[in-house]
Amino acid sequence: MRAPTVGGVSAWLRETSVYRSIVRHGVADTNLNRSLVVMENLFLHVHPVKVRAKTLRLSHTLWLGGITIACTLILYASGILLMFYYHPSVPQAYRDMKELQFVVDDGLFLRNLHRWGAHLMVFAAFAHMLRVFYHRAYRPPRQFNWVVGVVLLLATLGLSYTGYLLPWDQLAFWGVSVGTNMVRAAPWIGEPFRFLLLGGHVVSENALLRFYVLHCVVLPVTLIVLVSIHIWRVRKDGGVQGPPEDDASSPSAGEQP
Amino acid sequence: MSSPDPDGMTRRDFLTMAGVGACACAAAGAGLVTLDFMKPKVLFEPPTRFVAGTPLDYPEGTVRFNREQRAYVIGAAGGVYALTAVCTHLGCITRYLSDENVIACPCHGSRFDIEGNVVHGPAPRPLPWIEIRPDAAGNLVVDTAAIVPAGTIVRV
Amino acid sequence: MSALPPISIEESNDPLATPRRVALVRPDTRPAVRRREETYVMTFPHLVVREIILFQVVTIALSIAALLFDAPLQGIANPTETPNPAKAPWYFLGLQELLHYFPPVVAGVLLPGLVVIALVVIPYARINLSAGPLWARGGPRLLAAITTAIVGVAAFAALFDCWPVAVPTLAVGVVMLAARGGERGSRFRRALAEVTLPEWIMTWFVIVASVLTIIGTFFRGPGWSFVWPWASFRSW
Repeated sequence: MRAPTVGGVSAWLRETSVYRSIVRHGVADTNLNRSLVVMENLFLHVHPVKVRAKTLRLSHTLWLGGITIACTLILYASGILLMFYYHPSVPQAYRDMKELQFVVDDGLFLRNLHRWGAHLMVFAAFAHMLRVFYHRAYRPPRQFNWVVGVVLLLATLGLSYTGYLLPWDQLAFWGVSVGTNMVRAAPWIGEPFRFLLLGGHVVSENALLRFYVLHCVVLPVTLIVLVSIHIWRVRKDGGVQGPPEDDASSPSAGEQP
Repeated sequence: MSSPDPDGMTRRDFLTMAGVGACACAAAGAGLVTLDFMKPKVLFEPPTRFVAGTPLDYPEGTVRFNREQRAYVIGAAGGVYALTAVCTHLGCITRYLSDENVIACPCHGSRFDIEGNVVHGPAPRPLPWIEIRPDAAGNLVVDTAAIVPAGTIVRV
Repeated sequence: MSALPPISIEESNDPLATPRRVALVRPDTRPAVRRREETYVMTFPHLVVREIILFQVVTIALSIAALLFDAPLQGIANPTETPNPAKAPWYFLGLQELLHYFPPVVAGVLLPGLVVIALVVIPYARINLSAGPLWARGGPRLLAAITTAIVGVAAFAALFDCWPVAVPTLAVGVVMLAARGGERGSRFRRALAEVTLPEWIMTWFVIVASVLTIIGTFFRGPGWSFVWPWASFRSW
């Protein structure tokens, strides 16, 4: 009997009935199986089975949308882990921040990861929007997807802002106080909206709890739903569109410059 | 480019295995970090040690029940010992019935003698004996989290 | 946008020879018509592997940043003690800088609201869909209109002493006007001449927003006074 090799073991594994009940296609070395890998996977099947080769280039879109989504995943994972040690009450929230930074193993690392990931996500979302604008990739039939993107940008800013209050330190408290005071200036709806947002007239325990629920439940769910729609529409509109001259469907494509 | 060795590994296979292996290591590392993160380093539970008076407070036949610490401190012929008051069946707090000289659990009817042995009911194990020792000043210190073999007595 | 061949129109009552109804589709508004064959590759593995690599690169970059730089944590929140200066998060510092010049209704509500509305409307505005290079079909009237707009915005900003808006506006305006007539110049001048009006406006917006944010982050100290960056108290 030959020595077991990785290839041999995995080939044997793929023949077992348990494996074949989970994975319904063979090894991805035929185009049929490569298609099935994408079509039969809940997460992957937002992609088409084939993509235009030029969209894979970094220079095509700078992968900014992808960077934004990667940040989102990292923020969800680190955020959920941080939630295991954080109480959204006053003054316990601040003590929990200290505990995370000095007592819990890897607490400081995860908190830093969450903070820098948030900054990168806001920046990448803006950069992605500018890239789409300068490539004019909002033209029909992609108009509504642009609007969904603007709403996503607002949701990202909302997530960043609600998360900013949670450490309950001076920076958080006064940063949010200043911001919500700006809201007050809106005629008619400003003051009532601020009252609802803060759960009171000043930034207090109520505000902390409301921002916590917005930050951990309402806005993340909104983000997931809208991102799914956003990516789905990109797929349905023919894939990512890069520079307009390169776009096969642009009128100037293929013509002499 | 040399011809591929039919029994060996191609460069592509090697690099694929190296890449997948590196990802597996990273995933394992992330898993271990997460697990380590999840273990609390500081507990906010109350301390399990308490002072239970002096040996003179426990003449033979005394059974004292400490409600907050959930322990019995019992005076016997040779000394003092301590039992946990938590029923070994499903964790209810037992009580001592002095007229019958048994420890009874209200939840499912388990009964124990004052040495912790089960005399009736669904309890699967006898009540554990817990550590009791004199401190430097001669007071008795009980630790409800430290279980000692049955029969361990602080000699008086 | 390159020149299209001229459309010749024939009028005839013969339905077989000449179709009676003509649908005129402006090519720049309907990009769904494919004009060129493309090479396709399988999503798996080509796209999927690139997505995985991208995720790994972002994770590694963020992890390195997380290991090297600590997120700030100041003293516990004290409602009775306002730090000086009290700064909003960096993405709002541009707005906070604007608040220095304009009343809160304008800087805090009107301008952000208009910005959001302008963003949302972009794909539905005809000018964005059909815009060619700014100076391509412009005569003296266009020149006058653009110059008036630039000077008007700069003057309005200057009226409120808002130099972070006025100065970049004038700078962008100068470049806009210089781009005129650049079709026969260096590559840079030719590229500049190709810029459309919506792109000029967005570039102006990005520059003004960046200048405001940079000033608010690095050049503002206690009492919102102007300080040099090494003296400004800043946190992320």
